[in-house]
Amino acid sequence: MKILMILCFALTGVFAGQFDKVKITPDISYLYVYHKGKAVKVHRIQDTKNKLTGEYAKQYRPGQYIQPIKMHDDIQTIGEVELLHFMKEKGNYKKGILVDLRPKRVYKRESIPSAVNIPAKTKDNKVKLEKILKILGADRKADGTLDTKKAMDVAFYCNGLWCEQSSEFIKEFLKLGYPAEKMLYYRGGFQMWKILGFTTVVNK
Amino acid sequence: MKLRYVVMTLIVSSVLSTANVVEITDGMPYVKVEANGNKYKIERTQDKDAYLTNTFALTSRPSPPFFIEPFLVTSGVETYGELELLDFVSEKKGLLIDARLENWYTKSAIPTAVNMPFKLFLTKTSVREKVLQDLGGKQDSSGKWDFSTAKTILLYCNGAWCGQSPTAINALIDLGYPKEKMKYYRGGMQTWQLVGLTTIVPKESK
Repeated sequence: MKILMILCFALTGVFAGQFDKVKITPDISYLYVYHKGKAVKVHRIQDTKNKLTGEYAKQYRPGQYIQPIKMHDDIQTIGEVELLHFMKEKGNYKKGILVDLRPKRVYKRESIPSAVNIPAKTKDNKVKLEKILKILGADRKADGTLDTKKAMDVAFYCNGLWCEQSSEFIKEFLKLGYPAEKMLYYRGGFQMWKILGFTTVVNK
Repeated sequence: MKLRYVVMTLIVSSVLSTANVVEITDGMPYVKVEANGNKYKIERTQDKDAYLTNTFALTSRPSPPFFIEPFLVTSGVETYGELELLDFVSEKKGLLIDARLENWYTKSAIPTAVNMPFKLFLTKTSVREKVLQDLGGKQDSSGKWDFSTAKTILLYCNGAWCGQSPTAINALIDLGYPKEKMKYYRGGMQTWQLVGLTTIVPKESK
């Protein structure tokens, strides 16, 4: 009996996704990523009656200005499909990292799986910024230039398309010498991730 | 004392009501557009308690037919956001096309949009010929289309999970419509409403 149950679980595991009612793309139903060392299945809420409620369904947003589709000529803007591709091809191989630029308390409440938190206000702290560059694999050489040959690709997001933090932070990174082709801007941000019913994680 | 307070409040609130607390973007409280003989004021909701609660708040739709669309339909066709759409309609850079089926469009649409359901572009019909001519296409005696002087068009549908406008764009590419004359507003009705932008109920559909 026990073996049968395990077998059943294993089978549902194998076929999970194949019979998903709500898929991501025609080829992808789910994706495993690593969040703080643990595998997390990223997929979409399967209840087709589920509605987004709460903070991210809010339409009234004074002072939160709609951002252009491109934040900079050389920085590529991506959507969810490209972000998932980034997680799979880069994030899972430590060639890239997803950065959540929102304040720590907001990140703690809920974030996109695999994202690490670098609050956008860090851009005003030169010492911290240099440390982050080093962690990302960019070496500050003696002559002051930044060696980014081995630097990781970075995808940035903040709260939504009305959030300025991503563009401000990316501009600061460009100034510091981080190459534009190694940075991506997920403009939809956490709000779009939520309204499409994607998996989120709590960072307590 | 109490009366003075009330009067003051009234004055303050009347002043405030003329200014938008929620701007579209910094320094842009609203956009006024004239199209198809109508005047529109496009702005974001000023209602403190506004939440998205209609069908566009749904997170999950059955696939097929609904899948999340890539950021780009194809390289060469630019993807637009809300600010680019507003600039497109207010500067009269071309025609905004709602590519959804008519029953969606008549319920609610983006101001200035005309309805050209995506299915219309898929099969060779006299209606399609008429629409392509309206867009500025010219057909030679062999039936081949020339869109070199055609209008620039911006297409949208229901949201990032809607394949209708990408399908229309791909069909138009097959017909020879130049990619640089087509733009794609991927956010569609869902994102438009999520950020509280003005929608209209079109008086009559085309």
